[in-house]
Amino acid sequence: MKSNILYFFAIFSLLFLFGCLQNNANEKTKISAVANSVKYAKGLELYHYKGYTVMKVTKPWPEATAGFTYILKEKNGVLPDSLKQYSMISVPIQSIVVTSTTHIPALEMLGVENTLIGFPSTNFISSTKTRKRIENGKVREVGVNESLNTEVLIDMKPDAIVTFGINNNNSTIDNLKKSGLNVLINGDWTEQSPLGKAEWIKFFGALYGLDTKANTLFTSIETNYNNALALANKTTISPTVLSGAIYQDQWYVPQGQSWASLFLKDAKANYLWKESKGFGSLSLPFEKVFEKGQNAEFWVAPGDFSSLKQMSDSNIHYAEFASFKNKKVYSYAVNKGAKGGIIYFELASARPDLVLKDLIKIFHPELLPKYSPFFFIKLE
Amino acid sequence: MKTTNKNTLLFLTLIIGVVILFVLNISLGSINIPVKEVYQSLLHGSCSKESWNYIILNYRLPKAIVAILVGIGLSISGLLMQTLFRNPLAGPYVLGLSSGASLGVAVVILGAWLLPISLSEFFLSSFGIIIASSLGSFIVLVSVLVIAKRLRDTMAILIVGLMFGSLTSAIVGSLTYFSSAEQLQKFTFWSLGNLGNLTWNSIAILCFCVVLGLVLSVFSIKPLNALLLGENYARSLGINYKKTKYIILFATSILAGSITAFVGPIAFIGLAVPHIAKLVFQTSNHKILFWSTLLFGAIIMLICDSITQIPGTEIILPINAITSIFGAPIVIWLLVRKRKMMG
Repeated sequence: MKSNILYFFAIFSLLFLFGCLQNNANEKTKISAVANSVKYAKGLELYHYKGYTVMKVTKPWPEATAGFTYILKEKNGVLPDSLKQYSMISVPIQSIVVTSTTHIPALEMLGVENTLIGFPSTNFISSTKTRKRIENGKVREVGVNESLNTEVLIDMKPDAIVTFGINNNNSTIDNLKKSGLNVLINGDWTEQSPLGKAEWIKFFGALYGLDTKANTLFTSIETNYNNALALANKTTISPTVLSGAIYQDQWYVPQGQSWASLFLKDAKANYLWKESKGFGSLSLPFEKVFEKGQNAEFWVAPGDFSSLKQMSDSNIHYAEFASFKNKKVYSYAVNKGAKGGIIYFELASARPDLVLKDLIKIFHPELLPKYSPFFFIKLE
Repeated sequence: MKTTNKNTLLFLTLIIGVVILFVLNISLGSINIPVKEVYQSLLHGSCSKESWNYIILNYRLPKAIVAILVGIGLSISGLLMQTLFRNPLAGPYVLGLSSGASLGVAVVILGAWLLPISLSEFFLSSFGIIIASSLGSFIVLVSVLVIAKRLRDTMAILIVGLMFGSLTSAIVGSLTYFSSAEQLQKFTFWSLGNLGNLTWNSIAILCFCVVLGLVLSVFSIKPLNALLLGENYARSLGINYKKTKYIILFATSILAGSITAFVGPIAFIGLAVPHIAKLVFQTSNHKILFWSTLLFGAIIMLICDSITQIPGTEIILPINAITSIFGAPIVIWLLVRKRKMMG
């Protein structure tokens, strides 16, 4: 009797599995009819059909088990029944609320910054173009950081709210969706490759029906990046590089596979923690960092400090590093917007070509004699 | 005579314990440095590797000294409070003194925009933060004392301490809404507790404050013994109660306030250590308790700090987590025991 049940169970699960496989296969053939137009970004897929676009955000947050699918419908576009289960947004949208400063450059590059009508904590925005609109009262405050003000948003009724999730618990987002607003989850921040992060401009391009423009913009960034990369490959020396800073006894350095570390690799630098596995940051005791990094030639991105004195005031141990003594410390925190926002945080993910050139200029100045750095400034 | 001998032996053990743990604390860390090199570095100021020498003399040594100062200061302030309130559950953390100090620091860091520029600049210097933090803990201490006089009930005082804790964290929470990311970061990191980032200058200031607090407490040893038997009894012995009370209050807030200002709020040391001293020495005489609490404070803080850096690994645990693991069971045990005695 028992074995019978087991047998039945085995058959059943096989059937079930087969069914699943077939379903998957069906879906794949359907989608592969149109090629995904995204090349580098791992968390974004775009499939253009006549009259509509299927946009998939496959990795909305690091531990996500499922993604989001959005159907961007053009005027007069006809949707097949199979897609009606997904959230549908009519494009091109006319008004938008975004929640991360990294979305601002994309809007400006596409030339649609005047459709931005709301942002949480507008003080973080540094771009002069958008700041001017804020000063003129064209961009409304919609909350503080991630905690969005639901009532204000319902009242504004933007065509799209682009936000991000940290994990599965997004009660605010659920609430907004319930009240009939179009909420889109953007996953650009989980992207690790420099070009992949920048490619998310296509996400906004699709929302505005500006796909061609987004493609052109991205292609030029891609070309610039690859040219810089080819330039860096000419050199054979790679100087040692230390990164990060101490916060309460812990020294945070980017992990080997992270966005920041990949830049250092592409700029032909020998980053001391390049071997570490992971996408976030490592927290290390001071002693370990000191032993390994005391004689590193360069120190890149030492937290939010904007002068050497500020650094040694905050922690006396910083002054013992060779890079500090030789004044070879470079920070992105010097360039700030009118309200104190760090420009690097806003713009760097959209302009990896500039970040890479900055770093090449630091490590191999002879390769870019005429270039003047945009983000990374030498600390004095 | 017998107990004197026993106590001398205990004291000797404790002193040797402090010395051994001090050396051990310096020898242990996330980097394995051979003990021989540690001695070389400590005794001759140099060892085979320059980076090791720096780590020992400028990182581990100051941290160990701070651990000792913090352990001594908090434990003594706990002892003073337990006697003054005649309450075994009194301590700088439990009664909300640390929260008061946090509030003081929060007001000057997060609420800097409320003050005129010249004042806010002063308060953001390290001296300013000490003053703000001592003032914060002094205000809480006085308020708790006033309320304690009316309530005369252990539980009620504890609850009042808890309320002060919630109140201050609520005020701090509201202040965070009006402050910049930079200020917020500064305050958050301060509030996590940290022994390892003090310059020799700050250590000198901290040392001065702790010694000042200790000297004041030494002068109060005799009146403290009398206070054990009650306010009226102390008065009948010719002790100036008011003056004693103010000296003790001042000493306690300067101890708890200055330590909290430099290393952030540290949990439970002030409450647990005096009890350990009382249990080991089986006495309520402050002449003995004072010194034993002082030594135990240094020992326990050195142990806690050694545990935070699990040797040879890259893991660092927050100091507050360790002291709470130490202290919280002691509080529970005390409450249970008290219930039993009453029942």
